Amino acid sequence: MPIEMSSRRSRITDEEINELISKLQSLLPESRRRSTSRASASKLLKETCSYIRSLHREVDDLSDRLSDLMSTMDSNSPQAEIIRSILRS
Amino acid sequence: ILVILSTPIHSHRSIPHSSITSPANRRWVVGFEMAISNAAGDPAAGNEGGGERKRKRREDPPVAKWRTEGEQKTYSSKLIEAIRRVRRSSAAEAATDHSRSRAVRVAADRALAVAARGRTRWSRAILSGRKLKLWVRARACRRKPLGNITAASASYSHTTRKSKPPALERKARVLGRLVPGCRKLPLPTLLEEASDYIAALEMQVRAMSAIAEILSAAGVAAAEPM
Repeated sequence: MPIEMSSRRSRITDEEINELISKLQSLLPESRRRSTSRASASKLLKETCSYIRSLHREVDDLSDRLSDLMSTMDSNSPQAEIIRSILRS
Repeated sequence: ILVILSTPIHSHRSIPHSSITSPANRRWVVGFEMAISNAAGDPAAGNEGGGERKRKRREDPPVAKWRTEGEQKTYSSKLIEAIRRVRRSSAAEAATDHSRSRAVRVAADRALAVAARGRTRWSRAILSGRKLKLWVRARACRRKPLGNITAASASYSHTTRKSKPPALERKARVLGRLVPGCRKLPLPTLLEEASDYIAALEMQVRAMSAIAEILSAAGVAAAEPM
């Protein structure tokens, strides 16, 4: 990387940090934000990562659940007609 | 079913399964639609708690689309089709519970990426061959576990040590690994991607929860004597 580029980026301003902090705060839902209200950018980054991980876990759990429930989607099952009518609406 | 489906996403595991006494399909359709619009204004997913009217003040409009009823409905339909396909292909071969669940997860992520309509890095990364990337990454990790780290820290000290505290840099790296396709992004761009990705994931959770509730309620209703 050329030296000119690195010196131009050598300072991140306080303003930029504050902007990052408010952006990070807006990523988190209310329930998580309350406990980290006076937090640094670093804490907020960590909380954001932890939130994404928990969302991933929820999706995994839901995938487990849906794959168990898949048998109710057989086209000749009584449930299938119900699902089809919901999709049609 | 309104109660079931409008519960905030973070407590979906504690939803009690109520029994549907009369299989009124019409009532379910109405309930499903209302539940989706309830979920669209769900305070657990929103930031201000004031509903969608206030949203434009803090969020970019592109992120707000993940909270609309239409988006979730479209996604739900696509996901159900994809799950049907998984079901058909797993019936053909001897599929384990885990491989079926994994297939559902992949289908859900792909459908989510398609819903993003190619506008974000994370969605393009998901669609452009996850399996290949995972495989390549796993092999690289096994071969030189330390090589990557020393190379990375050499470039850090050269260009970025003065620009951000190392703790922030480290955590930004972690975030970059969590959002698909965003490992090498500068922080502002990474935050844009992360914010869209989080909103999309929240919709994914809402949609999958609603579908799971309907499927399990459908199972209960079908089992009840008419």
